[in-house]
Amino acid sequence: MAAPLVLVVLVAVTLRAALYRSSLAAFISERVEVASPLSAWKRVVEGLALLDLGVSPYSGAIFHETPLIIYLFHFLIEYAELVFMITDVLTAVALYLAIQDYNKVVFKKQKLLIELDKYAPDVAELIRTPMEMHYIPLKVALFYLLNPYTVMSCVAKSTCAINNTVIAFFILATIKGSAFLSAVFLALATYQSLYPVTLFAPALLYLLQRQFIPIKPKSKSFWLYTMQYAALYLCSLVVIICLSFFLLNSWDFIPSVYGFILSVPDLTPNIGLFWYFFAEMFEHFSLFFVCVFQINVFFYTIPLAVKLKEHPVFFMFVQLAIISIFKSYPTVGDVALYMAFLPVWSHLYRFLRNIFILSCVLIVCSLLFPVLWHLWIYAGSANSNFYYAITLTFNIGQVSRETRRTFTSC
Amino acid sequence: MAAALSAAALLLGCCGAALASGVQDQAEQFFRSGHTNNWAVLVCTSRFWFNYRHVANTLSVYRSVKRLGIPDSHIVLMLADDMACNPRNPKPATVFSHKNMELNVYGDDVEVDYRSYEVTVENFLRVLTGRIPPSTPRSKRLLSDDRSNILIYMTGHGGNGFLKFQDSEEITNVELADAFEQMWQKRRYNELLFIIDTCQGASMYERFYSPNIMALASSQVGEDSLSHQPDLGIGVHLMDRYTFYVLEFLEEIHPASQTNMNDLFQVCPKSLCVSTPGHRTDLFQRDPQNVLITDFFGSVRKVEITTETISLDRDLAGFENELPKDELATEPLKYADQLPVAQIIHQKPKQKDWHPPGGFILGLWALIIMVFFKTYGIKHMKHIF
Repeated sequence: MAAPLVLVVLVAVTLRAALYRSSLAAFISERVEVASPLSAWKRVVEGLALLDLGVSPYSGAIFHETPLIIYLFHFLIEYAELVFMITDVLTAVALYLAIQDYNKVVFKKQKLLIELDKYAPDVAELIRTPMEMHYIPLKVALFYLLNPYTVMSCVAKSTCAINNTVIAFFILATIKGSAFLSAVFLALATYQSLYPVTLFAPALLYLLQRQFIPIKPKSKSFWLYTMQYAALYLCSLVVIICLSFFLLNSWDFIPSVYGFILSVPDLTPNIGLFWYFFAEMFEHFSLFFVCVFQINVFFYTIPLAVKLKEHPVFFMFVQLAIISIFKSYPTVGDVALYMAFLPVWSHLYRFLRNIFILSCVLIVCSLLFPVLWHLWIYAGSANSNFYYAITLTFNIGQVSRETRRTFTSC
Repeated sequence: MAAALSAAALLLGCCGAALASGVQDQAEQFFRSGHTNNWAVLVCTSRFWFNYRHVANTLSVYRSVKRLGIPDSHIVLMLADDMACNPRNPKPATVFSHKNMELNVYGDDVEVDYRSYEVTVENFLRVLTGRIPPSTPRSKRLLSDDRSNILIYMTGHGGNGFLKFQDSEEITNVELADAFEQMWQKRRYNELLFIIDTCQGASMYERFYSPNIMALASSQVGEDSLSHQPDLGIGVHLMDRYTFYVLEFLEEIHPASQTNMNDLFQVCPKSLCVSTPGHRTDLFQRDPQNVLITDFFGSVRKVEITTETISLDRDLAGFENELPKDELATEPLKYADQLPVAQIIHQKPKQKDWHPPGGFILGLWALIIMVFFKTYGIKHMKHIF
């Protein structure tokens, strides 16, 4: 399977390189759907320039990247395009390996259940064969690399790609079963953008499953393992944050990064749901609604954990989707990450209702985003409601897709 | 006889010497103030009929300034509304400043440069700083140089720190101070007299920081400037109190007056004006005692016809020492010094001065190596060592 993967990687790299050289690169970097205040490349460059001038990049509300990104790009800023292409490739390879391993696990489990005769007789069509599962990892890598959203994110040099890489490595580590690495990468992902902390639950569930520890509140081994994993995760997080302190010798990055993510002060339009509400809200209520909106992201973890405890990887996928819909500054790069997982559950597609409508919603909304943006900002004949409507529709489409998929998989 | 002759000769000689030194004194008088030309920027920022008095204020200052010699080509008059031809004006083509229609300040020769909607904050700042599109006609430009004394008079509705333009935008005291600083840096004025007649007018000059600015305001922060008297025939208040008394004061001035600024500061005491007029002279280099009203309000050309020969020698440098002692000790700025042209031309490439601290790099890579070995086992160590 290595050769087709290499081919796909080459095609993707060529595509990105071609786009970098074209005039579209500048246009795409300016798009609000691709570059949010958290991930825009312009801001990274600005922050590094401020640092060269001797000013802390966190003074002022421009730069919202973590110190590790500062460190990374301080030396690699001239090779930024290469860096982003490599991160995309790494993400794709990580996802490929992860799904390969996951398929093996799924197949083993299926074999076990067949031998135990747990399946009803008429489920014959749903039994997954190694043949069809053979190409799924390649499809996942393909879906990720050649997704227009990923390509746009890469060409815009949005640091969302780096977040995706960390999350992909985390998924790889989890599926390979290494609790230590999984905790480290989860800590890194949380450190980068706060929301992956919700992926703690699916990762824990998967690792428990792998260790054959039953998920019962009374079981001592369950709590022991949970404590171990949580301790690993928290320690790595603390270590990474303390290390970041030593980069600039100040804790400025905490309000600039995490305070910014949580309190949503920047209301530039994006494909998310926050900006419109908070743009028209009175100051008096904004704290309350910020809390409500942020809770929305974290809230679904427990119910989904209860419901999907047998399918932790699917749970992880759904959680990723929830993060990318409800986070404070989503971009299409976040959408691309969870879309890459679609082939893994392709056997469920025959049961998915309204596939056509939902995929049309996705495509039409993606096309309408720039159109309505132009109409609003440049032509002046639309207003923010139009753009927000498309944002809403896009997110509703995503949510519908996720709920339908959840129902079919349960 | 000889003694009388020699005495007469001596006397004549002394007279001659006295005369000669008198002419020398007179010649030195020419250089007493540093300006050679005068400009005036008169701005009325309010529109609508009930703000008649602001237009009347501006036009009365315009009238005084023209009467004392500043030509229209050196006056930038900005009126935000047309009161003379307003449909509600019972006496069209007139703007009165005194009740009973005693004084019409809108004569035949009023040239309004910025009218109606052209009076905006942007245009005002562009006029001051000179950043005007090339298509602007000359009459709309402030073509002052570094020997110009400029009078800036503003009136309208204002508050603490701002002045309202056209009921839709404001100019803040900070913007104004920065505009004046831009004028100073571009050497667009020698000295500037800023007069403002609005509510809480003193707040507008609080933020000035450029040299050679003297400022007067009609009221302090927290006070309102009041209007003078309504005319029942016209139906609105005709003038504001402060400008009314300033106008009366200026009517006494003629081009040869020696009245100085201290007299202007006394105009309109609290008993007449109800508000407390304020002034600011700390940025001004000369003593207000020595500043003539006509230095700003008039365009007084110092012309003396004499048949004597006057030697303009380097001794005039001694004149600088004769300036009053309360002059600010600023060193004269040369024009070339203010633009770091050398730095701009030979732009050095960006120097990356910042490096991550060693401790951070060490810690980070130690952590990465630890994670690596923890995952893949210590057995790989022997491959390295």
